[in-house]
Amino acid sequence: MSSGSRVKSKRSGNGSRHLAATRLSNGEYLEAIVRPAEGLISRRIFADPEVYNMELERIFGKAWFFIGHESEIPKPGDIVARQCGVDPVIFVRDASGTVRAFLNSCRHRGMRICRTDRDNATTLRCPYHGWSYSTSGELLAASSEHHYGEGELDKSRLGLIPVARLGSYRGLVFGSWDAGAPTLETWLGDMRWYMDIIFGRTGEIEFVGVPQVWEVECAWKFATDNFTDNFHVYWAHQSLVELGMLPSDPDFASHGTMVTLGNGHILHFVHGPPMDAFQGMGLPKSLWPRFKEKLNTGQAHIAQTHGYSAGTMWPNFHWLQLVTAGDTRSEPVGILNLRLEIPLSPTRTRMYSWFAIDKDAPAEYREASYKTYVRTFGPGGIFDQDDMENWEECTAAARGPAAKRYTLHHRMGLRRARDASWPGPGISYVDSYGEMTQRAWYAEWLRRMQSSSSARLDRAGRAKAAP
Amino acid sequence: MNEVVVPFRAGTENPCSAGTALYGEILEFLYREAALLDDGRYSEWLGLFAEDIQYVMPVRTTQFRTRGAGFQDISFFDENINSLTTRVQRLQTNAAWAETPPSRTRHFVTNVLAQPAAQASEYAVTTNFMITRTRSDQDYQLFTGQREDTLRRLARGEYRIARRRILVDQTVITGTNLSILF
Repeated sequence: MSSGSRVKSKRSGNGSRHLAATRLSNGEYLEAIVRPAEGLISRRIFADPEVYNMELERIFGKAWFFIGHESEIPKPGDIVARQCGVDPVIFVRDASGTVRAFLNSCRHRGMRICRTDRDNATTLRCPYHGWSYSTSGELLAASSEHHYGEGELDKSRLGLIPVARLGSYRGLVFGSWDAGAPTLETWLGDMRWYMDIIFGRTGEIEFVGVPQVWEVECAWKFATDNFTDNFHVYWAHQSLVELGMLPSDPDFASHGTMVTLGNGHILHFVHGPPMDAFQGMGLPKSLWPRFKEKLNTGQAHIAQTHGYSAGTMWPNFHWLQLVTAGDTRSEPVGILNLRLEIPLSPTRTRMYSWFAIDKDAPAEYREASYKTYVRTFGPGGIFDQDDMENWEECTAAARGPAAKRYTLHHRMGLRRARDASWPGPGISYVDSYGEMTQRAWYAEWLRRMQSSSSARLDRAGRAKAAP
Repeated sequence: MNEVVVPFRAGTENPCSAGTALYGEILEFLYREAALLDDGRYSEWLGLFAEDIQYVMPVRTTQFRTRGAGFQDISFFDENINSLTTRVQRLQTNAAWAETPPSRTRHFVTNVLAQPAAQASEYAVTTNFMITRTRSDQDYQLFTGQREDTLRRLARGEYRIARRRILVDQTVITGTNLSILF
């Protein structure tokens, strides 16, 4: 497990593990109302300002977050405005080619420096008083420098504020505001084995163009929860079942494996219908031989035999690997979609959706994959748009004091069998209809939300008085 | 790239300038199209499109003026007649939850400017749009921007939309999703 949180634990004489409990202002303990092991998650944690404010510090101020992909800033001086957690950052490739991320805020008065979505520049100049920084963050010039007295301006200490930890895996750049966070490699752990399948199966993956960005009046966790949920597909996307774009068998997305890993990372791989189009991640056959060149035997087998996959790099960054047609007359084609949810308030979330593709994919496939993506995913996508309706309505119904007394239900597969034949790391479960992955996600959420306090819990989550 | 065409050129004769019969036909066509959308008559709306329709809404970004209007190659919509037809069929399933129950929309179409396009009997028409979408018991959502249409004239008063570029003002769509039609 990572060392990035302040959970205090100790082993008592009888071996039970005691965790610090988190008390809300109404007297309830988070550990008592969020019980991932039992699949009972309180509705209170979704639209509640108190819980949200705790999340900002304990999760968004500390965990690792996806910022962008290296292919989005290919040239020195390329700049993209992004977030790390909920803080705005400048995602930049500096003059020497190094990828960096800085708080998008001047060291002088805090003014936002990068005020366009993307740019290419040699210096970053604040429009307020003209403080200028290099693309590697050094303060080159403050304003009216000769008016500062001795010792009043130490430019060497006033560079842009860097994201405390920055790391990259397979071109995906993540940052953390916690200088004590584990390395990216440690934090991702075995998730890297699966990321290799998605982002390294044929060579490199590139993010194409800009993300679609939009806002939904929902609590961010309802969206996050949805990306590991297979059995909503038949119901939430019922219109596409009716149009023949999804199979009419309600169990069609259950033929797969779900995996939980350390640090809350979760994923699944699901078999599509037994047709070539749904093998090999939906990629053209000409690329299938790459799997064995680029991946190990187990990874290559998974890539070869599956069409659908989703994974969550905890907490809010997801891949979606799908095979679908874009309309009722077209052939199914593979699409790779990357998703990020950034909360703006307890009940409002900004969504990012990127289209990505294997760099060596043939032009014809690239075009078909792109058009299919736009038609099915993102805010205008005929799949995606119905999900947002669900997230908003779940949020609206979670606001009231009565609703907050009740839990949601995440108990499917509490005793699910392990998938003994699965070649990959982690805990793997047979049958991809289940809430094993969500429970693992909420367990990490709870662990992150726990802070040192006077109360302690026993293993079953019951709060005990401080000694 | 993607500079907006301003149809008006002073001193040139425009057969579809404001006040001409042709302009009146185009204006009425656009108003009738908007009414079909607001009335939920989607099959009839679909009938207004040419078989070779390209219906595109590019993603917009904030850029400095020197770098253009900020429209990108990635789109929110990139449709042909098959995918537009699928969208309409989907809205008619009663299981398209984003529009079931339906939103109320109001399409306002203004600032209509037209001029002959490169092809005979085709007209380049730019309009401003403002669309309100009122859903459930919620406050309305607002979508604004410009449309660049190519209208193909088949007969007196009868047109087909051969090309539509929807140029939204927002870089971040604040209206939940794009389940309505533009």
